[in-house]
This record gives sequence, structure tokens and C-alpha cells, in this order.
Amino acid sequence: MLTVESLQKSFQLEDDEIRAVDDLSFRVEPGEVYGLLGPNGAGKTTTLRMVLGLVQPDSGYAEVSGYRTAVDPTAVKSRLGFVSASDGVYPWLSVREMLLYFADLYGVAQSEASVRCERLADLMGISDLLDRRAGTLSTGQRQRVTLVRGLIHDPPVMLLDEPTRGLDVVGVQTIFEYIEHLREVGKAVVVCTHRLDEAERLCDRFGLLHRGRMQQTGTLNELRQQSGHQHLVDMFVDLLRS
Amino acid sequence: MSGANFKGRLLRLCQKELKETIRDRRTIVTLLLMPLLVYPIMSMALNRFLLTSGEIEEGFTICVSTEVERKILDQWLSSPNSAPPQAVADSSGNELAKFRVTVIPDESPAEAVARNDVDVGLELTNIETGRPTATFYAYRGDGVSQAARRVVVERLQWLKLAEAERRLKATVPEYRTPLVVNAKDVGTVEENSLLGTIVPLVLVLMTITGAVYPAIDLTAGERERGTMEAVMASPVPRGYVLFSKYIAVVAVALLTAIANLVAMFTTLWAGGLLSLLTGGDAFPWLTILQMLGLLVLFSGFFSAVLLSLTSFAKSFKEAQAYLIPVMLLSLTPAMLSLMPGITLSGALTILPLINIVLLARDMLSGSVDPNNAFVAVVSTFAYAAAALSVAAHLFGSDAVTRTSEKSIGSLLKRPREASPRPTPQAAALMLALLVPVYFLVSNGLMRFIKASQDTSVETTLLLNAVALISTFGLLPTLATWLGRNRFKTTFRLQPSGIFSIIGAILLGLGAWAFAHEAFVIADALGIGGLSEKQIAGAEATVAKMRETSPLLLIAVFALTPAVIEELCFRGYLFSAIRGAVSPLRTVLITALLFGLFHVLTGSALLVERFVPSTLMGLIIGWVAYRTGSVFPGIVIHFVHNGLLNTVLYYQDQLGFLGAGFDDQTHLPPLWLAIAAALVVVGASLVWASSRGRTESPTIPTADSESRDTDVV
Repeated sequence: MLTVESLQKSFQLEDDEIRAVDDLSFRVEPGEVYGLLGPNGAGKTTTLRMVLGLVQPDSGYAEVSGYRTAVDPTAVKSRLGFVSASDGVYPWLSVREMLLYFADLYGVAQSEASVRCERLADLMGISDLLDRRAGTLSTGQRQRVTLVRGLIHDPPVMLLDEPTRGLDVVGVQTIFEYIEHLREVGKAVVVCTHRLDEAERLCDRFGLLHRGRMQQTGTLNELRQQSGHQHLVDMFVDLLRS
Repeated sequence: MSGANFKGRLLRLCQKELKETIRDRRTIVTLLLMPLLVYPIMSMALNRFLLTSGEIEEGFTICVSTEVERKILDQWLSSPNSAPPQAVADSSGNELAKFRVTVIPDESPAEAVARNDVDVGLELTNIETGRPTATFYAYRGDGVSQAARRVVVERLQWLKLAEAERRLKATVPEYRTPLVVNAKDVGTVEENSLLGTIVPLVLVLMTITGAVYPAIDLTAGERERGTMEAVMASPVPRGYVLFSKYIAVVAVALLTAIANLVAMFTTLWAGGLLSLLTGGDAFPWLTILQMLGLLVLFSGFFSAVLLSLTSFAKSFKEAQAYLIPVMLLSLTPAMLSLMPGITLSGALTILPLINIVLLARDMLSGSVDPNNAFVAVVSTFAYAAAALSVAAHLFGSDAVTRTSEKSIGSLLKRPREASPRPTPQAAALMLALLVPVYFLVSNGLMRFIKASQDTSVETTLLLNAVALISTFGLLPTLATWLGRNRFKTTFRLQPSGIFSIIGAILLGLGAWAFAHEAFVIADALGIGGLSEKQIAGAEATVAKMRETSPLLLIAVFALTPAVIEELCFRGYLFSAIRGAVSPLRTVLITALLFGLFHVLTGSALLVERFVPSTLMGLIIGWVAYRTGSVFPGIVIHFVHNGLLNTVLYYQDQLGFLGAGFDDQTHLPPLWLAIAAALVVVGASLVWASSRGRTESPTIPTADSESRDTDVV
């Protein structure tokens, strides 16, 4: 469903060349939640942006449902849902207007968009907020609106970038339920996070990223066998020390 | 996506941007509150200013020490004999200066002037002798004081002369004034009223103010709020998003302009100041509409400038930091427009912002020069296109990355990968630069030729060629290098077959007749046409050119334009535009541009050249498309220009052919038939020789030979 193959990206920062992503490969299947884990600056967000076609890779490719980002970015983008912790809302539009705007950006027919809007709002418990001005929403309410926004075009692949950052316990629980829902409906999900404890509870498989390179990959059991540690946190500490 | 879907979607995107910005209270403040408050206050200030300045009109003050002196001076100044003769009065606007004479008994007139209490001081001595001596004091370096003294001294001079003439006539009755002098004015008064400049200036500045907030909010603001990344992650083309934002910014800028326009004129009308601006009391609906049209153009231009700057700002603060210097820069030409004697002419017609302010001022005074107005409008369009292309280049490219991949500097940075042809945006930018550069180079050239009287015909011709090469040749070359476009594919340097070249020669030999006919028809329809003065000028130029070698003429007027203009229009621009639109549209657009650039020659607009040049552009464009090469076009252009120049050069010797060569008569039917036959055979040759090798609609690579059979 989602294939990332030998992705590479460097940035020029003044006189230094920073290798943000270095020969990164992984694969995510429908109904699978893949945790792309690493400390801040490991290259997680840059990877997602390359998958989305927002950043051009120096080499390698990303492929979604058989379409490569570099070759057919429109086909890829329309099959991807993207939710980031830094996502905002349009303060002067109503929630419904904003959701319908994004549906339009993804080319969803207007009648279909209205139906999906109601259904997803019901699922995420924001039906009563649909006609509220988005600028008046609380942080938790905004987060749920953003999650609905990511699903408005019913994409087969979801990319979640630090979805729990800045959220309270209730907010984090909402995210867990949301990801559980995505798994149930057969979406291929990539979750980028540095919250390793949360990732352990959420993900089916993991990729441990450090300085742009994939250090270890596998299910939690496979990683335990490889590293000899019980928890992801300990595995990472080992990684950082080495 | 179908056309209706595309339009509907674009419309909805625009609606969203407009909703978002119009609902924002901060937009409303600039949009409505500012004009409602600013203009009544401005009107009150202006009224106050006019009242104050009215006091100054009372005249100059002269002081004397005694009542006797006052009476004598009053008597002198009120005498009709002290008034200047009619011719002098007529020469100085028929305004007689007024004087107020005051008595200051406690101090000397010189001291009163030194303390700046009065303009002039007078001391009268020897009154009792019947031949008084008048001494006038003025303040050194004070213009008003000096002028007052000059006027009063002149008045007494006229008084003395009148008295002398009276006495002379009494003694010599047959005496007559030896010379009669009259002074008369012709033409109309050109008044550049300050208010007439302030009004458009304020409107332009308010339009800018209106556009600033939405431009920042819809780009940098959206990025700061975190919605931009999600928009860029969607499959909608960046161009759509940018376009909808552009429309929203233009709309708000225009609404601000309308609100200001209405508020300003209503305030001026209510305050009784409208007559100062328009010379009448009627509400100037037509002028308002004209100014609105101008503000539409200006909003379009400035909104694009603003978006190009805010497109890569990551935050509101950063965008403001970029915009403040632009606002200050905008104020400089704006202030320049307030200086006396500044008119819409020469380089000012292409100076952004000031050209619109001056054009609006001319509209208010009803004295618009169509040529200058045309240049101002076209250059503003060109700048808007350039700014939009910059915005399109930068918008969204750095929407999400925190490490800047693209900045203003990236516009001048060569891409790493070579590409086969320039992007339409790069071509728009090149074209926008071409307008002012060509204007400056060709005008500079004309100034140089005028300044050096002894410049030979040869030097003038060579300078012409240099001007063409340094603009139409150099700019596309630089743009190609900067964009790392392959020269071969960009300038379409693929060789064409020998039959295409033969066809091109025949087309060149025949096409001029149709270009000539198009010219004559356009002239008859009133599109362009030459005035008697232009015809005389052209004949004088031809006579001058006959002094030089025909080979030099051919080199300058046929070879150079054929190579340089073809490489620019059917090479660079053709390949860039072809990357975005169909072959038919490419041919049409390049032909229109070709026609337009032949109109913009130097300081004068040669409107009559538009129709024949565009027609030639269509013919050459079709050949360029069919053959996929620039070379046959060069041949047509060369043969066409070469033929015309040869005929003009040997006009006298060719008289036996029986046809006149002036530009207002149709060609004889036999000539047209021969020309038509040449064109048909030439076009058939081109068509037959290029069958199956018409240019590919997909981007051709240097080594790609794939072509399709798309036919125009």
C-alpha cells in the first residue's frame, strides 16, 4: 500500500550539508499501523513530507497504491490523509465550511462531501460544533476537527505526524481511538512520534530512526529479540549511546 | 477535470478565501472605518488650510513713518498711471499686486523690515521740494520682501514714465508712442493642482493599505496558523490556491478603493471642495468610474507584488518585515508625484505606482495623453504578470519546510538540473523585464542620436542593431542561462529540411503583400494609420538611408531583426508558452506579443504596425510550429524585411513597375495574385515537408525526436 524505497534528502544549512534522511526504506500494508520513531530531528517529518510530495527527495521514491510521488503527485496526494500536531483551523470559517473546503481540495463531490462530513463528525463527536466558527473552538475540539479533516476524502493511507503533541489525557485517548478506528477500517497508517510509550500501545510494527537512518525495524517482539530490551525506550537509549 | 468543474472549483476556492478575509474584523477596520474617519478629518484640515491661505492673498505690507508719507504713497499706487501698460499686464497674468500701507511712527521703516513686521519699508525725503526721494527697504534673502519691493519700484517707474509722456505730449503735440507692444496667449492652461495629485495619491495609498492585511493573512498568516501545510498536502494545484488568494486580495483592495473613492468624493462634495478638483459642482460620475478602472489595474498589480513577498514569509512578523521597506519604497515615487512640473511622460510612464498616480491626475483634469496612458497601463500589466510569476515560483514551495529551500535569492539561483525549455512563469518574468529595458534602451538611443548632431547614418544604424541585440537578444539568452534551459530546445534550433527553407523563402516573398494589405485595411478602418507628419518623417528617413550602403541596411533592418526577434519570439517565448498551452494558442499568443512589441517602439507608439506585424507573427508562428524549428521563421522574416528595404532603397528605379509604394493604396490585383501564388506554394511546401514531424505537445528533450500530428 505504502512503499518507501531508499529515500534520501540533504539540506544546505549555510555552509553545512545536513543529511536529514539517509537511505530510508519501509513498507506499510492495509490495516497496519507503522510507528516511525525517533528523537526530534531524526528525519521523521521530512520523510512524511517527501511521501506527500512537499519536499523533493534527492534520490529514492515513495509509492502509494502503485503511484510514485515524483511521477504522479496528484494521484498520491489524493490517496493520502495527513494530520499533524501543528495543524490549525481557519478561525473565520465554520467547522462545516472548513471541512467542505478540504473536501473540495481533494475533489470530493459536494453532495458526497456533505454526507461524509456529517458521518465523520458523528464518529468524532463534533456534530454539534459543525456550525460553530472554528476560531472559537477549544484545543481538544480543534484536534477532533483536524482528525475529521484528514479523513474527509476517505484516503487508504493515513500519515500522522506527532498526533499527541500538546494534548491532555483525554486528547491522547481520542487519538488512540481514532487510530484504532483507522486500523479497523483497513487503512495503512504511519504514526511519527517521539513518545515511545504511546507508540508501544498503538503500533503493529516499528522503524527506529536516528540521524536520518533506519536503525532497527520490526514488530515489538522482533525488536525485543534483536535488542535484548523489553521497552522501546531502553532500545533507544542504547541506540543513542552507540 | 471538465471546464465547468474546473471553473466551479476555482470559484469555490475564491469564495472560501474571500469569506475568510471579509469576515475578519481587522479587514473591516481598514475597509470601512478608515475612509469614514479619514476623509471628513482631511476635508476639515483642507478647509482650514484654504481659509488660512486666503489671508495671504490680501497683498504686501509697506510701512512708512508718517501719515503724510502714507497719503502720498496711497495716492501714487492708486493712480491709474502707476499700473503697468496693458502688454506688461497681459504678460504677467493681469494680476495687479495689492499693497497695504501702514504707519509705524515709533521706529524707522528699515527697522520694521528687519524685524520682519512688514514686507517693505519706505522713507520719503525732500517732500517739500516737490521732487521727493523714495527709498524702499526690503529684507535681504526674503523672496516675498524682495518681490514686493520690485513690484512697488516698477509701479512708481510706470508712474514716472506716464508723467513724462504726458509732459512730452503737452510740449510736442505730434508726439506718438514710437512702438506699440501687445501680448497674447495661445493654448490652454495646464494646471497641476496639488489637490488633483493628492486625491489619486491618497486613493493609491489607501488601496495599498487595504491589500496589505489580506495578503499577509492569507499567506504567512495561514502558514503561521498551521493550515497551509494541510492545503499543500492536498492534490489541488498550487496555482489554483495562489490564484484564489490573489483574487481575494485584489477584491479586498478594490473594495477598499471603492470605499475610499466614494467616501472621498462624497466628503469633497459635501464640504464644497469638489469644484477645486474638477472645476465644476456636478458629481463627477464618469471620472470616478475611470479612476475605479485605474484602481482595478493598480490593485491587480500591487496585490501580485504583495503576494510575491508574503508567499515565502513563514510568519506574520516576517511578512511585515518584508513589506515595510516596500511600503517606504512606494512612498518615494508617490511623493515625487507631488512635486511641481512632474508630468506623465518619458521614463515616468513606466515607473510603477507614480505612473498610475499621474495618469489618475490627468484623468481628473481631463488631459490624458493616450500614448503615455497606454504605456503606463501596459507596463503596469507587465509588472503585475512578473510579480504573479514570482509569487507562483515561491508560493507553497517553502510552505512546510523550516529549512528554506526557496527564497527571493532562489530566483537568481540556477537550478541544478537542466531543463529543455523555460517555464511560462520565467518567460512572463523575462517579458516583463523586456518592456522597461527596451523602453529605456530605445529611448536612450534616441536621446544619444539627438544629442550628437553629427552622428552618421551608419552609426545610427549600428546603434539600432545594438539596441535590438542587447534587449531581444540578450534578455532571453540570460533567462535561458539562468534557468539552465537547454539552448537547443529553448531556442528551437533543430534543423529543418531544405524544402521547408524553400517554402519559407516563397512565403517571405509573398507575405509582405498581405501585411501591406492588412495595413491599408487597418488604416481605412481607422486602426492606427499614419499622419501626414509621420509620412513626411518616414520619407525623410528613407531619403537619409539611401545615403548608405544597401548591404548595411539589409544587415540592420533584415538580418538582425530576423535572427534576434525570431530567436526571442519563435524560439524562447514559443517554447515556453508551448509548455503550457495548445499549439494554436501558442501561435496566437506569440503573434500578439510580436505585434505588441512592434507597437512599443521607442517613445512613440506605432499603433499602425500592430495589424501587419501580428499577421506576420501568425504566419511565421504557424511555420515555426509545423517545422518545429526557428530557422524557417528566420528565413521568412529576413526575406520579408529584406524585400521591403530593397524596394524602399530602389524606389525611384522601380517606378517602371507601375505601382506606388505609399502606405495608403492597395496593391494592383496582378501583384496580389503573384503574392498569393507564392504564399500558397510556400505554405504547401512547408506543410508537405513537415508532415508527421510537427512539434510534440509533450515537453521535448534534447534527444527526443517524438512528434505528433497535432495540426493547427
